[in-house]
Amino acid sequence: MFCEKSLNLIKELDRSTEAMPAFDDDGVRQVFEEMRGLYDQNVAAANDSTADPDGTAIAGIAIRHAALERNKRCLMAYVYNRIRKVRNMRWQFGSILPPEIKANLCEPEIQWFNSYSKTLALYMKSIGDQGLNLAQDVKPPKSLYVEVRSLTDYGKFEMDNGEVVLLKKHSTHLMSRAQCEPLIIQGILEQITH
Amino acid sequence: MYVDNVIEGFYNAVNGSRVLLFVNYDIDAICAARILQHLFRCDTIAYTLVPVSGIQDLRQAYEENCEEVKYVVLVNCGGTIDIVELLEPEEHVIFYLLDSHRPTDLCNVFSSSQVRIIGNSDPEEGIPEFDDVFREDSDEEEDNSGEDSDPEESRAAKRMRMSEEAILKRRENRLWAEKRDRIVFNYTQFSYYGKASAVQMFELALSLSKDTTDLLWCAIIGVTEQYLLGKVEKQQYVLDSGTLQGYVSKLSHNLDEDPTEAANSTPVTVPRISFTKDLQLALYRHWTVEASLRHSMYSACKLKLWTLKGERRLHELLVDMGLPLVQSRQKFSAMDMVLRQEFHSMIEKLAEKYELDQLVFASFILQYGFRNKYCASDVVYSMLALLESTGREKSSKDCFLEAMDALSRPKKNLLEDGIEKAKVMLTSIFKMVQAALDMQMVISGGPFLYFIIQEGALNARQFSHPHTLILLAQFVLQAYVMVRKKKATNLPLIASAPLDADEGTCLVVGIPPVIEDSPKNFFGKAFEQAAEKTNARAQLDYFDSSVMKLKMEDRSKFFDALAALLS
Amino acid sequence: MKEFRPPNFPLTCRESIDVNFNVLKNRRPLSQTSCYNPDLDTMEDTFDDEDFLSDQEDISVQKVLQTLEEAWLNEKFSPELLPSQEDYVHCMMDQIQQMEDNLNKLKKTDFRGEVHHMELARIRYIITSYLRTRLDKIELATAHILEQEALRGPENSYLSEGELKFAKEFLALQESHSKQLVLRHMPSPFQEFMPTQQTLVPNLRSHVFLRAKKDVQSVVIEGDRDNRDEEVDLDENSQHIMQYQPIATYLKDGSLQLI
Repeated sequence: MFCEKSLNLIKELDRSTEAMPAFDDDGVRQVFEEMRGLYDQNVAAANDSTADPDGTAIAGIAIRHAALERNKRCLMAYVYNRIRKVRNMRWQFGSILPPEIKANLCEPEIQWFNSYSKTLALYMKSIGDQGLNLAQDVKPPKSLYVEVRSLTDYGKFEMDNGEVVLLKKHSTHLMSRAQCEPLIIQGILEQITH
Repeated sequence: MYVDNVIEGFYNAVNGSRVLLFVNYDIDAICAARILQHLFRCDTIAYTLVPVSGIQDLRQAYEENCEEVKYVVLVNCGGTIDIVELLEPEEHVIFYLLDSHRPTDLCNVFSSSQVRIIGNSDPEEGIPEFDDVFREDSDEEEDNSGEDSDPEESRAAKRMRMSEEAILKRRENRLWAEKRDRIVFNYTQFSYYGKASAVQMFELALSLSKDTTDLLWCAIIGVTEQYLLGKVEKQQYVLDSGTLQGYVSKLSHNLDEDPTEAANSTPVTVPRISFTKDLQLALYRHWTVEASLRHSMYSACKLKLWTLKGERRLHELLVDMGLPLVQSRQKFSAMDMVLRQEFHSMIEKLAEKYELDQLVFASFILQYGFRNKYCASDVVYSMLALLESTGREKSSKDCFLEAMDALSRPKKNLLEDGIEKAKVMLTSIFKMVQAALDMQMVISGGPFLYFIIQEGALNARQFSHPHTLILLAQFVLQAYVMVRKKKATNLPLIASAPLDADEGTCLVVGIPPVIEDSPKNFFGKAFEQAAEKTNARAQLDYFDSSVMKLKMEDRSKFFDALAALLS
Repeated sequence: MKEFRPPNFPLTCRESIDVNFNVLKNRRPLSQTSCYNPDLDTMEDTFDDEDFLSDQEDISVQKVLQTLEEAWLNEKFSPELLPSQEDYVHCMMDQIQQMEDNLNKLKKTDFRGEVHHMELARIRYIITSYLRTRLDKIELATAHILEQEALRGPENSYLSEGELKFAKEFLALQESHSKQLVLRHMPSPFQEFMPTQQTLVPNLRSHVFLRAKKDVQSVVIEGDRDNRDEEVDLDENSQHIMQYQPIATYLKDGSLQLI
């Protein structure tokens, strides 16, 4: 039946367990083809209306039109939901994407990401006199220093006051919360609760 | 240099800057580190904690982490080696040693600039005087000054006079050097353990008025571990537990003190520690009675449970206690209420008849909520099992972190997991002992006994960790002594297990003979000398000097050299 | 003998700051007050200053913080975008900056420094959470909000300048992205980007918890087809749960508080 492919696109996106699934280029192209096919049929049928006296062609045109609209809606939903996920990536990782995520995005999405980062940065700078980084303090702060454990071999991490900490896997640290919050959100450090 | 006033000399000194903590892979170190972490968290002293397993590991970790660090604390590692020589630190770095391994290296004791030892020097350790051990070498100076003297004196006379003085000087130096070598040898001959680091840290917390029940529990675990692994003798354990009991009563007094609250003053969820008489049966509250009796070293050896006759004695004991076999094969918590309550007293009564007189010992129990009741030895076994449960996906550092987490109360499931693993560990130890005695695998190598686990043996992987191997060795020796009676009581035991199949290395541990009550272990020095003599590819890498790594091909000639050395 | 009174939360700066909203530029910097000035020998002097609330228009920092907190809660629980409290945000941020500068002069191991840092972190959290909530709402219903904003006129705007710019740019971004990715490839009648057809509109009929700060008379609640319209009187400090729409106006003029 019509619109199966576009429905599939949305279903796949919804069911996927990854944070940022890959862009289904093929699927989208198939939907375009279907739309083109339907549209061409419709145009042909409309131009040919003289040959159809009892009005059954109208029904066909109406169905195809509805299918076209549905395809468009599905595609827009697909694009929109992906964009929401890309936006979440910006809030999680900052303005530089890790390569695994980047591989799953198509070119326009990467451009969208960059432009969004720019717009967001402009807005954040405009708050107050000096700007405010809205990506920090995501949770209500419970203490000034937190105990964190390093989950990966991140390497040397320099803090604002000049101290350098080596974040090797399995090492435990007590650090100022403000400094290590971005790393916790990115998943490099894990906060230890007692 | 010893730091007497721990607060002034250590705690206040590091306040305000970042501290680097190196922690060894043993339970006492983990407990001490947890207490220290708690204190640092209260005063927001930033720290970085890195686990180290051996000397090479320590050196590498130090090189990686030493940037911009002024204070380094070494917990249960590095006390017995010359730290400054090993790590080659910069001038301003200060090391604080909190090590229960003895004997402390003399360079660390007498270093006035960079090394501070937390705690007091014990007169029993017999640390030699500074002058006996270190002296400036003034030989060369005398000879040189002799050359520059008045050329008018006749050469021959001058040479005569010079040589007489020189000979006397040289003789004196030689005597002094011999005496020094003898003193140093006596001092470093035996390796043993001092006060538990966890207790020292708890006392620091006490003097800062930051002691809590959780910290006290950590200290208790540290002391219990020393006792269970045979690191200290029983009297020392009794003394230590007496002191800890004082702290327990002080803390629990604070708990119940508030008279304004309702009749049941403190809620049940508050953790309480109680000091009770407990049985030396491993994990009996979480296991079946029969299994616990069978797999605990003390009861198994006394009743000789690896023989058929022993099995019958076990059943006799159960019958005497009035415990039906069905019940004794059920999990302890699922046994009849009446039987459970009477179990303790019944066993005590029958202890004498079955020669189990040492079965009862003083220990501590932690209770919070209705379900969670753990005795100190349960926790020690559980943490040991977690620490040594390395597998393909779990590296040893993962295990270290798991063992550390098991001490925190929200992670109770880790503790339970550890108890299950400990059951497996104890079962396999017992099976190995049984196999060893049945198949005569304990061989006499002259002045010592030795016992080798072959590569393909069942559960050989379990024993490629130091603590499990030490437990196994102690069990084997005790059992062997029971079988052979008098003949074997003054022979020490060396156990060896395969470590790494790819590199062809094996793990070797040595434990002192049964007859000597003290756990003083001379294998550290012995291993070192034997390795030197035979040029064996040995690595005395562990901080516990009675454990070492060795290439399997060199093993037999290494043992021969040892035999020659010790006879 | 001056006794040391520990700082109570929120701020204890008893000296009022001239925060008259028509003269935001003439604020007296905090460092000039004796509050938080570590050049004094002891910090203890600062906590004993008396209230200076002489003028009706002077608003103390405490009031600013309280207004911000209420605005934050309201924004969190209301389904639609509320008027921006940008001025308060601005003022609070200045305060934070000054206080941080002062606190940095304190000795590192001083216990009071920690407590004040913690307080500042909490205030920063309130501000960022407030702005983030607003940003989320803007991103979800961009076209609808911009439309309504245009209808309202410039004096009555709900969005701050920065937010307005952000919203417009965001919408433009959406449009260009959709066009480039999918709309280009569609047959011609379908190539239009119809934002109003596809953005979410906030559900004004969702229920909220509220507390009346003042007496509110005759709130009209629309009835279903069977029930008639009802009129309800809300007493001061009473708490209710009801639909958002009837009380929207009262919320915006300050007589209600969402909880």
